[in-house]
Amino acid sequence: MEPLSYVGKSVRRKDGPDKVTGRAVYSQDVKLPGTLVGRILRSPHPHARIVRIDASRARQLPGVKAVITVDDTKGIKHGFVETPRYPPDQEVLARDRVRFVGEEIAAVAAVDQVIAQRAIDLIDVEYELLPAVFDPFEAMKPDAPEIHPTLPNVRSETALSNIAGRTATGWGDVDEGFAQADYVREDRFESHLRTHGYLEPQATLAHWEDDKLNVWTSSMGTFVKRAKLAKVLDLPYSAVRIHKTYVGGTFGGKIDLYSHEYCAARLSMITGRPVRMVATREEIFSAYRHGQPLVMEIKTGVRKDGIIVAQQVRAINNAGAYRGSGVVVIFLAWGFTMLPYRIPNLAYEGLSVYTNYPLRAPQRGHGCPQIRFAIESQLDRIAEDLGIDPVTIRLRNARKPWEELPNGDNVHEAGLIDCIKLAAEKSGFLARHGQGRRQTSTIRRGIGMGVSSYFGGSLIYPNGSGVIVKMADDGSATVLTGAIDVGQGAETVIAQIVAEELYLPIEDVRIISSDTDTTPQDIGAWISGMTYVTGNAARQAAGNARTKLLQVAAEKFGCEIEALETRDKIVRNRANPDQQLTYREVIALSIATRRGDTVIGEGFWRTMRDEPTHPSLATTKGRWSENYAFSCQVAEVEVDTETGEARVLKAWTVHDCGFAVNPALVKGQVDGQVSMALGHAFLEEILTKDGYTLNPSWLDYRMPTVHEMASSDDAEIVTEQYTVGKSYRVKEVGEGLVSGVLAAIANAIYDATGVRMQSTPFTPEKLLRGLRQLERKGRPGRQDRDAEKDADEPAAATLD
Amino acid sequence: MNDESMPLATRSATRRSQVVAICVNDEWHEVTVRPRHMLVEVLREAIGLTGTKDGCEQGACGACTVLIDGTPALSCMTVALECDGKQVRTVEGLAQGGQVSPIQQAFLDQGAIQCGFCTPGMLMSITSLLERNPRPSVPEIKKALEGNLCRCTGYNAIVDAVLQASGQGVQPIMK
Repeated sequence: MEPLSYVGKSVRRKDGPDKVTGRAVYSQDVKLPGTLVGRILRSPHPHARIVRIDASRARQLPGVKAVITVDDTKGIKHGFVETPRYPPDQEVLARDRVRFVGEEIAAVAAVDQVIAQRAIDLIDVEYELLPAVFDPFEAMKPDAPEIHPTLPNVRSETALSNIAGRTATGWGDVDEGFAQADYVREDRFESHLRTHGYLEPQATLAHWEDDKLNVWTSSMGTFVKRAKLAKVLDLPYSAVRIHKTYVGGTFGGKIDLYSHEYCAARLSMITGRPVRMVATREEIFSAYRHGQPLVMEIKTGVRKDGIIVAQQVRAINNAGAYRGSGVVVIFLAWGFTMLPYRIPNLAYEGLSVYTNYPLRAPQRGHGCPQIRFAIESQLDRIAEDLGIDPVTIRLRNARKPWEELPNGDNVHEAGLIDCIKLAAEKSGFLARHGQGRRQTSTIRRGIGMGVSSYFGGSLIYPNGSGVIVKMADDGSATVLTGAIDVGQGAETVIAQIVAEELYLPIEDVRIISSDTDTTPQDIGAWISGMTYVTGNAARQAAGNARTKLLQVAAEKFGCEIEALETRDKIVRNRANPDQQLTYREVIALSIATRRGDTVIGEGFWRTMRDEPTHPSLATTKGRWSENYAFSCQVAEVEVDTETGEARVLKAWTVHDCGFAVNPALVKGQVDGQVSMALGHAFLEEILTKDGYTLNPSWLDYRMPTVHEMASSDDAEIVTEQYTVGKSYRVKEVGEGLVSGVLAAIANAIYDATGVRMQSTPFTPEKLLRGLRQLERKGRPGRQDRDAEKDADEPAAATLD
Repeated sequence: MNDESMPLATRSATRRSQVVAICVNDEWHEVTVRPRHMLVEVLREAIGLTGTKDGCEQGACGACTVLIDGTPALSCMTVALECDGKQVRTVEGLAQGGQVSPIQQAFLDQGAIQCGFCTPGMLMSITSLLERNPRPSVPEIKKALEGNLCRCTGYNAIVDAVLQASGQGVQPIMK
């Protein structure tokens, strides 16, 4: 196999020079003359009927150019999910009723920020307050306030109230499985409300001009954004152009359609002027979409040797006031349950429940950190109860290469077993595990392990990616790709692949990206499949251009294409080295002899090419993905038993992403996810009371700073390879690695202290409560179930 | 700053415009500002230097960090009127003669950039640090960067970039 020049190398970022010099243009940086400032009126109540909206005083204010309410919309609903089972349930501005604090009611466009805000204050809304509900278990009760009528088809499956969606699936016979088990455990875990914390605020500039809507908006996929925006505006897709901008972090929070995007567009259509909407940080913290909190009830039966024989899982999602991605997270929680370990008998139920909170969005991992925290914590308890070490129990249950998953997918060269072995070896796991609770000092160390797996791309609109490679007549190449670089390095990775396939110096590859009018359709940076799907499209497009170059040269030399080689932008006849042409000459020849053909390559790719669509969210039937990444992560923590403060000393990540197209970019993803996990574990929590956000600022919502930087060590289990001219398989690396670390931290805290965390975040209060309980009991140890209950109530609820 | 706003009673009460002279990256600019205007708005809107990022307007994220008379400052918390006669440096002023500075190069070499939104503020905090302290220790680096949030990198690559730029034995990992 010939050595690779760019793929597999840590090539510097293509967007790097723009980003270190301040040239990189984000949505908030785009300027158009005559731009108006837009602002949004938001609900001050968690649940209320809108009796009357009077915007007349706002409209009369000098400097106000337009005011819109729901009456100025087409009334077209939208949703993160739009399927026959789950029709869209949200309007772009509230109609008749508001269902969460911060819900969008009206919007204004004015000549400046001060007038826009003054106009918002002049809009008079009369509300009739309605009872609100915030806890999903309260919301499911028959007498709970009805936030939306439960859909008839979902209603027939459950007698509960406020059900936004339900996933029910399983295989085998769990009753039989539990009957065969030597040991059965039931636990209840909870995850809390966190947010993405993207540094760039949500910002949109929209300009309606000549029956065309030009939009610059921070997103994770311009084609998805275009589809959603065009739909609610009742415009053909072609009338909307989403332009490329750099995007200042997303982590799941910028994929869905937001009201401000609609409002900027609609206000521009009314005024004929560009309208800019920039959300304040306070708005983002209080009214925008956060991640998905889950309650997870897990019952697991194992044999004496720790082999899982049956599992029953119930995941309850607090969806907020609209469906959002709640019905997806209850599907995904099933998927992330069944991926890493064999479960011969499974019964799974996921419920997504409407409450009077803002609706939710995916957040990096989308259910995976939550469910892996739960399952990996429980698995450690089972291991301890059976006297098996955490490494062995994981190895005994881990999926092996080429296993078929219960949904018909295949894990291919799954590297999980090697991940677990190497992570244990690198961290010296077994020598250190179990030492923590023997320490008598107030500063104790502990070590823990967590395993996870993540899918790499699935089928959802627009389902496929196309790429065009245009040769310039100097022999360099311009790549047109819809891929969006949200920081993960999409442009760099695509440039590496094109340079490799075309035998071009990477400096000769230019990327034009993520503009819906000038670049081909793309799946976007949110379904964990871009390096696989768009990357293969880029490989194909570059290969296609190269073939054309070779055909022209072969014709000139009078030889077969196979006789040619390309190197340094020169095509040469291997048999007759005197016969050579530069790319520049080949392209000139192509134009001269092929009726102006300037050499353009095209490529396209779709995951699961024979599968019609994504799997059922209701039943999980249908294929989900053709690439699954696996990982094992270890965390070492230090706990101060006097203050209850804990911190991560070091994290080890061993993962199978197939192969790294750019190892330094992969390393960046690993480090970022370790950081996000420790924020999840220790620092971050959106605090609410009666639906109001109490900490709408980074001063009060503590995100990891440089002081919380964790030492992060990583290694790759290489299971796939890249060969020029052939399709390749890579696996996910951008969001699945929050999960194992989070679980590992929980297990490490137990290892250090004997306190078992049943809910995130792992606060000093919970730790101290648990430690106090253990003291009262006399000594730390495995039997102290009460300690855990006390540490982290509510615990140990039984399954229905 | 817009004529259409002038009849507004709420505006006229605070409408005390003043011309200030600010030297940004060695170029003087005369700008009309009001008391409520912050330096970040003047840089981005009036002068047109959008490299300085506006992340929170709460003084909490550090993305808007610039150097005022050589000292790092949050431009979203700095009243523009108070910048009259001051020397301001922004990310656009770091590269000289088309050559990026050592810390900019180190960011490229260490993978210290992902989404890039914190990068300008980070670079300004580090530039100031390295001017004061050419070979900072890791605790000194952390102290200097504690006001700059980064959500993407986990900070490891950023600290490595400072070590590279200050010649403390860290080699580039990207080529």
